[in-house]
Amino acid sequence: MPGHRTKGFWSSAAALALCAMVAGCSGSGESVGGGKVVLRYTWWGNPDRAERTEQALALFEKQHPDIQVQTSFSAYEAYKQKLATQAAGGDAPDVMQLDYRQIDQYASGGVLLDLGEQKAALRTGEIDAGLLATGRLDGTQYAIPQGRGTETIAYDVKAWKATGVPLPGRGWTWSEWADTMRALAEKTGKPGATDPGQSEDAFEVWLRGQGKSLYTKGGELGFTAADLTRWWTFTDKLRREGAVSPAEQTTQLDGSVENTPLGRGEALSDSNWDAPASGFLALIPSGVALAPMPSGEDGTPGQYYKPSMFLGVGANTSHPKEAAQLVDFLINDEEAAKVLGATRGIPVNDSVRKEIEPQLEDFDKTVADYQSSLEGTLNPPPQAPPSGDNALQTTFQRDYDQVSYERMSPREAAENYVTEAKAELRS
Amino acid sequence: MTTTLIPTTARTASPKRRVKRERQGPAWVFLSPWVLGAIVLTLLPMAVSLYLSFTDYDLFNPPRWVGLRNYVQMFTEDPRYWRSVTTTLTYVVIAVPLQLALALVVALALKSMKRGKAFYRSAFYAPSLLGASMSIALVWRAVFNDGGTVDNLFGTGGWVNQPGWALLAVALLTVWQFGAPMVIFLAGLQQIPAELYEAAAVDGAGKWRQFLSVTVPMLSPVLFFNLVLQTIQAFQVFTPAFAIGAGKGGPADSTLVYTLYLYDRGFVASHMGYASAMAWVLLLVIGAVTAVLFRTSRSWVFYASEGDR
Repeated sequence: MPGHRTKGFWSSAAALALCAMVAGCSGSGESVGGGKVVLRYTWWGNPDRAERTEQALALFEKQHPDIQVQTSFSAYEAYKQKLATQAAGGDAPDVMQLDYRQIDQYASGGVLLDLGEQKAALRTGEIDAGLLATGRLDGTQYAIPQGRGTETIAYDVKAWKATGVPLPGRGWTWSEWADTMRALAEKTGKPGATDPGQSEDAFEVWLRGQGKSLYTKGGELGFTAADLTRWWTFTDKLRREGAVSPAEQTTQLDGSVENTPLGRGEALSDSNWDAPASGFLALIPSGVALAPMPSGEDGTPGQYYKPSMFLGVGANTSHPKEAAQLVDFLINDEEAAKVLGATRGIPVNDSVRKEIEPQLEDFDKTVADYQSSLEGTLNPPPQAPPSGDNALQTTFQRDYDQVSYERMSPREAAENYVTEAKAELRS
Repeated sequence: MTTTLIPTTARTASPKRRVKRERQGPAWVFLSPWVLGAIVLTLLPMAVSLYLSFTDYDLFNPPRWVGLRNYVQMFTEDPRYWRSVTTTLTYVVIAVPLQLALALVVALALKSMKRGKAFYRSAFYAPSLLGASMSIALVWRAVFNDGGTVDNLFGTGGWVNQPGWALLAVALLTVWQFGAPMVIFLAGLQQIPAELYEAAAVDGAGKWRQFLSVTVPMLSPVLFFNLVLQTIQAFQVFTPAFAIGAGKGGPADSTLVYTLYLYDRGFVASHMGYASAMAWVLLLVIGAVTAVLFRTSRSWVFYASEGDR
């Protein structure tokens, strides 16, 4: 019977595929390709960063013919989940990119290797001591920051200029920002910015502008429901006026520049970190510029230099030395820095930075100029957020969805968030 | 069991049973892949998750025993949990009846078809094969997104960004996969003896009357089977909600179904203990719902073999 034969064929094909998958999974940790040491290196980012990373890694493989690097990347949200699952299964990659928010959790959970053990392969002498310390927990160096980033308002230069509204400058306050967004919306019929109400990062900048902070030194919540109510009332009003993006647009944010209203051509600006803002250039070829975040009404700046995108080595790696060599290359190698530019922030190695800065081109130069324009004006960064913050970022966005879809008042949502946050930080 | 009831036959049967037991060796060898799979991939993880549900476990540090705290928190302190329960129930109530009704209607139409039956049967079945995949769910999201097909045709805006409509988009993806129950209905319909229809026709019953008095009762066991199966599946819906809700169950938690929130608690917030507790509650609820369905089935499912009762 032909029917039976086909069935048999498909089931054996499925069985074969399954075998291949199982083999693939179990082999990945120890795989050695043609006598070479194979390192797994994972990170989050956009296609621009991917291209440059691949170029840099080709250089590394040329310098170390006995090492082969396998990479994989995804957008931040997806990356975070994948890495947590891998780490829990004892299958963390050899080299992984980490966010400031993850350091506490991953280091205390025993996922990261003590990099002090690999001093011979990994030089840290030329990194600013304060910056280097951000990758330390209880005196142990678990990760190395690859750069420093700060928040920015990225805007479509051409469209903004066409409106005749004055370009944003230094030292503007949140109320000046709001008036500008209203003016832009009036001129173009499109919202001026992404609704910042959904962003815990933007809220932090606003909060710091008033001398407060997201978390206390003891890792507890540093603000009250009343503070959050005021922030959400402020953004909710702007949304109702059409000055910032509507709920339907805001809800689609997933950490990628492509899904921001600015990236879709539905708004004129977006608040983001400065390095990832390079992704906007591919979407808005006519030009993107960076303006500082608004400050508090008395001029207190809220934004800060945040150590960005740490590199850590998996505690279970079978090739600690090679992994350390890769980290060393990504941080200290001049050739690598030339290729990578500012895609993960301005280089942290002082001599590399001095060497590279004049040569930076295009958007990298924009980022470098932006950062140096803020030099000396910002307040020191907060300490690393407690591990619960990782989950709270999403909760924050979710609760604001309830506000922007007008299912809850800012007060109700803010009270919800504070309750959830306290529970999260307690556990 | 017969052995205890009728001792005489038991004695005569025992040599036979020994033979049977001797033959069980090869049976176990052939069963071993499944048995191993069931133990290693299902029973052990279930046992572990039951244990974890009484702990606080963040994936990184060893689990810490917290007793019933996860369950208490779930039922008393987590409004989002209850929202996910309501969302799931709404989804089940929309998706399952719609899907079964569509499957039945198409099966009836196919049954009376003279030509091309095999082709249409395969064509309608195809979505069931494709539908569970992530890629189809992503296509579905695109179809119902701003500027997608539905928006362009009807000018409704993107359903997936409107809290009132997003869940319907998820449900429609399930309804679209009506092929599996349809094939089962079709098989059931073909089992109904033609004499019954002839007899009914002789008695003067019209098409509608025949449907109500012959088709429905004769098909009720199959209908029941499909209802149980699809209900169980609907409670566990994940992929379409994940893709259509952009991984967050958005907009405004409107597609945050139970399993999606479970996933969120476990893998996003790293509360594996809480997620395990949620999984066990889901298991119990599905068990209870199935039991209720079985109980009500006594009053409406008709088995031909016991027809004289």
